[in-house]
Amino acid sequence: MAEEQEKKQPEKPELKDMSAICPIGEVLVIAEHILGDLQPVTLELLGAGRILADKMGQPLLCLVMGHELGDMPQRLLDHGADRVYVADHPELKNYRTLPYRRVVCDFLESLPSQPHTCLLGSTTTGRDLAPRIAAHFDTGLTADTTELDIGPYEHTSKVDPSKIGLYPNCLYAIRPSFGESLKARILGPWKNPQMATTRPGVMVPLPRESRKGEIINIPVNLQETDHRLTVKEIVREVAKGVNLTEADVIVAGGYGLGTQDGFNMLQELAGCFENSAVGASRKVVDLGWIPYQNQVGQTGKTVRPKLYIACGISGAIQHRVGMSKSSLIIAINKDPDAPIFKFAHHGIVGDCYQIIPEMIKQFKQAQSTSGVKEVVGTH
Amino acid sequence: MASGYKIIVMVKQVPDTGSKAGLNPDGTIDRARAKRMLNPFDKFALQAALHTKKMYGGSVTAISMGPPPAVEILLEALEHGVDRGFLLSDRRLAASDTLATAYALYKTIQYVGDFDIIFCGLQTTDGDTAQVGPQLAERLNLPQVTYCEDFSVQNGEVHARRIIEGGHQTVIAKPPLLVTIANSYHPLEYKSFRGAWRVQQLQRKQEELAQYIKTVTLDDVGADPERCGLKGSPTIVAKTEKVGELGGSCSIHEGKAVDELVKEVITGCNVKEFLAAGKK
Ligand SMILES: Cc1cc2nc3c(=O)[nH]c(=O)nc-3n(C[C@H](O)[C@H](O)[C@H](O)COP(=O)(O)OP(=O)(O)OC[C@H]3O[C@@H](n4cnc5c(N)ncnc54)[C@H](O)[C@@H]3O)c2cc1C
Ligand SMILES: Nc1ncnc2c1ncn2[C@@H]1O[C@H](COP(=O)(O)O)[C@@H](O)[C@H]1O
Repeated sequence: MAEEQEKKQPEKPELKDMSAICPIGEVLVIAEHILGDLQPVTLELLGAGRILADKMGQPLLCLVMGHELGDMPQRLLDHGADRVYVADHPELKNYRTLPYRRVVCDFLESLPSQPHTCLLGSTTTGRDLAPRIAAHFDTGLTADTTELDIGPYEHTSKVDPSKIGLYPNCLYAIRPSFGESLKARILGPWKNPQMATTRPGVMVPLPRESRKGEIINIPVNLQETDHRLTVKEIVREVAKGVNLTEADVIVAGGYGLGTQDGFNMLQELAGCFENSAVGASRKVVDLGWIPYQNQVGQTGKTVRPKLYIACGISGAIQHRVGMSKSSLIIAINKDPDAPIFKFAHHGIVGDCYQIIPEMIKQFKQAQSTSGVKEVVGTH
Repeated sequence: MASGYKIIVMVKQVPDTGSKAGLNPDGTIDRARAKRMLNPFDKFALQAALHTKKMYGGSVTAISMGPPPAVEILLEALEHGVDRGFLLSDRRLAASDTLATAYALYKTIQYVGDFDIIFCGLQTTDGDTAQVGPQLAERLNLPQVTYCEDFSVQNGEVHARRIIEGGHQTVIAKPPLLVTIANSYHPLEYKSFRGAWRVQQLQRKQEELAQYIKTVTLDDVGADPERCGLKGSPTIVAKTEKVGELGGSCSIHEGKAVDELVKEVITGCNVKEFLAAGKK
């Protein structure tokens, strides 16, 4: 042994293979629903998780907690899971931190080996639950990721020599890095499960198709301390218009609108389109011109509509990371050098207050001359 | 509850992204020029803490972890009416991720003593994870209310409204608990003249100020250095990559009559496909 070690002493020592520390394993998605509605982000996570699991040649697991879930477990299979674990209990009907945390922790502890990766949505629920699980298991958690991958990592930092080595299969949790035009690749290969929350609207779900898989009921053992918080009521606010992340067309306004009233004009423009919504930059949200729910960008929502019309928005990096995946971006800005013209597909140099009314006029004309569409409908 | 609530508020100092001084034209931070400020989200937490004290009595302790200049935000908190502050400052904390941060703050809270309610900001503008609050709650074995927009205390119970996807919920819990405050909560009130004046006076007498703001180390709070800093962090930033330049092929429409410009764009792409069918 000693001899062998001596041979391995050349200038560039070969990195130790650390695959025993974070072996490949299953990918686990924790499902989310509100009042019985499965959240779209869960299906997106299954789509992303499927890719990661296939890369490792491992199964994709999904854990769903709730009560009287109907066909939800089957839907999770149909959207890509190989095995769905169901925790059914009246106390799990609506999300509460402590009972859900209990079930997830018990479930993970009951497994013979930890999943490689565990994913949750970067929603008010996922961001409430994931950190508690990560803290319980002392494992790494990356917030609000926009890309996920599996790949190798060479750790050479001498801070902790015991960690030096080659980790062949790490979760790459990628997110925009704050205030910089950079993306950060965050890794935590020292321990499974490697955890991440992922932004709604970024990953692509698999189409629903009838797939086979296993549905397994798991035990629920809540403790008295899990009931220290009770839910009194849940209110669904029927948002005006369409949810931003689900809209096909987004008309977004920025500081260039000059006043809050400018949003009336944007509403009207949005009204010309099917399945549309109004978005905004953070600057105008901070100014109170429009609610936070409408904010697009790094600290707001990530959207990928078919059409994004940016009005009086400069195109700062924090805005761009939230909308750059839109299929078609039209920007209206007074300043020909505005950064948004670097990545929009069509840029109109001009004043919003001249361009937008003209757009509304021309769209309305187009509508009245193409009544055919109504008959044809959308697929 | 005669003595009122023992309230803790967690505050962090972050680079100032609001002042033009530290920002490049594209919105990126120029760290060399950037000023420092109190994390904007923590202002809402501070307001929640001070409001609780005002309405229900008690005392507010602000706790922060960061390099020595972070004392500035504790002074600011004092000006707003916080009773005392603790800064956990130690070189061995460098490069802590959220898990290591939450561990160190947990030890600091234990060192500071008994509490009823801990308020955190929803997230920081530099870490931007919204994880430290819940991770603290886990370490302290507390119930938590995250994304809290408003709350009141009734019969010794906290009634809180929290944001959920597409709506909100009302939850009830007895202290002790941890609450993270969303930025739709009431904005921080202006500091009173008296508060500002008091802190100004205190700053003249360092020994007196030290009674109100204490800087502590990992050894003071009894934290295991192995669980802090880079060593105690299960995540590392392995690589950063430039956000790829997108498109780069924007067709610019300019210098024509407005109706011409609009027509050009409409004919140049498939916008019409998305139009609502001829409804009035
Ligand atoms: C940590 C951090 C997180 C952030 N998160 C987000 C986020 O999630 N989302 C987000 O959007 N921003 C975010 N920002 C802010 C971002 O950096 C920008 O400050 C913000 O996007 C700018 O908003 P704006 O484009 O509306 O305003 P401005 O940058 O002021 O741009 C206004 C634009 O309007 C144009 N204009 C003016 N008048 C007219 C007119 N009459 N007609 C046409 N054009 C006109 C101007 O030429 C200018 O380009 C964040 C910043 C930081 C530091
Ligand atoms: N270094 C710190 N010192 C004190 N509080 C902190 C620190 N880091 C995070 N927090 C608290 O945790 C909240 C969430 O932070 P983050 O997880 O970094 O987004 C913040 O709003 C603070 O209230």
